[in-house]
Amino acid sequence: MQSQMKESDPILEVENLSASTDNLPILKGVSLSVYPGEIHAIMGRNGCGKSTLSKIIAGHPSYNITNGDIKFLGENINSLEPEERAQSGIFLGFQYPIEIPGVSNLEFLRVSTNARRKFLNKEELDTFDFEELVKEKLELVKMDHAFLSRSVNQGFSGGEKKRNEILQMALLEPKIAILDETDSGLDIDALRIVASGIKKISNAQTGIILITHYQRLLDEIEPNYVHVMSDGQIIKTGGSDLALELEKKGYEWTDKFIKKT
Amino acid sequence: MEIIERIKTNKSIDNQTEIQKICLHKLQLSPLPNPKSELWRLSNQSKFSNFLDYSVSEKNPKFDTPYPNTSQNTVRLIIGENCQIKLIEENYSIQQLSEDELVKYIKKQISCFDQNENWGDLLNLSLSSSKNILGLKINGSKIPPIEIFSHASSNSLNAKTLVIFLEKNCDIDLLQINLGKDNSSLSQSTFFCLEANSSVNHGVVSYGENKSNLLNSLNVIQQRDSEYNLGSLHFKFNYARFEIRIKQSEGNAKTNIKGMQITKKDEQISTYTRIDFNGPNGFLDQINKSLADDESHAIFEGSIIVPKIAQKTDASQLSRNLLLSNLAKIDTKPQLEIIADDVKCKHGATISQLNEEELFYMRTRGITLPEASKLQLSSYFQEIISFIPVSKDKWDLLDKLLNEN
Repeated sequence: MQSQMKESDPILEVENLSASTDNLPILKGVSLSVYPGEIHAIMGRNGCGKSTLSKIIAGHPSYNITNGDIKFLGENINSLEPEERAQSGIFLGFQYPIEIPGVSNLEFLRVSTNARRKFLNKEELDTFDFEELVKEKLELVKMDHAFLSRSVNQGFSGGEKKRNEILQMALLEPKIAILDETDSGLDIDALRIVASGIKKISNAQTGIILITHYQRLLDEIEPNYVHVMSDGQIIKTGGSDLALELEKKGYEWTDKFIKKT
Repeated sequence: MEIIERIKTNKSIDNQTEIQKICLHKLQLSPLPNPKSELWRLSNQSKFSNFLDYSVSEKNPKFDTPYPNTSQNTVRLIIGENCQIKLIEENYSIQQLSEDELVKYIKKQISCFDQNENWGDLLNLSLSSSKNILGLKINGSKIPPIEIFSHASSNSLNAKTLVIFLEKNCDIDLLQINLGKDNSSLSQSTFFCLEANSSVNHGVVSYGENKSNLLNSLNVIQQRDSEYNLGSLHFKFNYARFEIRIKQSEGNAKTNIKGMQITKKDEQISTYTRIDFNGPNGFLDQINKSLADDESHAIFEGSIIVPKIAQKTDASQLSRNLLLSNLAKIDTKPQLEIIADDVKCKHGATISQLNEEELFYMRTRGITLPEASKLQLSSYFQEIISFIPVSKDKWDLLDKLLNEN
């Protein structure tokens, strides 16, 4: 899926998306467009559907799309497998990165990176070349080389897990990164390191969606748009000042924007 | 089951040895195990019959050992082929047991055999001719790693027996490899005696081809202050039984077991273990893993016996199982029999499928579902494989399990 895109075309378009799991509706008509170079923030109460939206875009098999479309680089990806979406350039940073005991972090990163490189028609890297590349990327998130020899996320602290997510993002060079509560569980220093990593990786050709509860991440990475979700819908969209307003007034203030269904 | 008819009528073997006579006599009273007994009730009767369908062969056709012995440091023996060994070096010796020593030891073992519980050994010793019995006496230090092969040839039943005396204060790495050819049955019995303060890292790797069968029995006696570490792997058999009996004869010994069986298609592989603590301060750490796919059946039954004399025993037995198909079946029963009142014993069992969230995580990194499953399985296998001695450098077991099986 390497379409000829114009600079002004969106990277990701979510059109009137409804989805359910176990026959329970979770998303109820979400629309969102992300253009190159844009940073979007999605905020909302716990359980409003933010994480579900990110998982559905990434292709989680537990959710069914009941209506609407997800388009990536102009093509409908509703029926693509998670790995096909990832290879084509969609990255999901997990709120709770999964531990995979017994699988070496280095090997995991190498296999992932090569899957993306293969899609991009780039030469796959052997262990030696990959070590060189990963060494350079480790600098971005100030991670120690020793993390590579451990099992994926096993025994990592909360902050180390989140840094490992950003390391993966740096290696995979996605077109769009959806970062689900990347700031949760981080102390101030770790938050700055992670935010700085995200800023260095993003550029005028990539899009970023930050899912967050707090202004503090948005102080480090200023979004172009802030969306507020409630009950599976985006009920309000504004600029970065909307997040500041939310910080002051709380989510109750946004309840008046909920569309009656 | 021609062989059973021949045992009943005592026409099975010409020129019977003393051991064969004793075992045949025991079997004639009741030539088959009781299918209703705890040890045999889950055994697939048709597959078990298939094991006995082949005629006994004492011949050992030319055997091409896999993985050439590239290390001059490893001693490689093939039961039935080159059983002659007398290696006396400055620090150690590996020698064959004399006929008298062998007969005396085996007779002592047989005397306490139960027809049902030790049926596999009785059959093996009834059928094993002298040339298919290898007895070794090992002592000294800096002993080189040892590899011992047993194999069954196509369209026949081969019985191989291994007896090892590990003398005081010595330690060895030993890898036993049991190979089944297409349409074959292998009966392998191993008797291991660890004298005081000796230690062994014992690997047992058994794999077959299409329609091969295996009855593998392992009997270990540990004297005080000995350490027995067993890493085992059984896969690719139409029907296989692995029976492990370990006795810490005086207590004060240490046993570690990490075993795994992998079943696919309609295979049945089972592991039975019985650990007897006959003295105080015994230690056991056991993990048994099963992986069942397609329409196969994996079985684990383990028992830990802790009589009153075995105070301060510290034993743990865990059965971990992966069920990869809706039609596959796993039976598992870890159990404890404790009379002593000052012990620390625990057991448990888990059965699960591949972890969906781990798979999704890997897939969101561009790793395909088959690759992600392979990565997960490799981590599942690795814990056991890394415990199997001697195999690390040349026996690419992980690759074999992930790609060939």
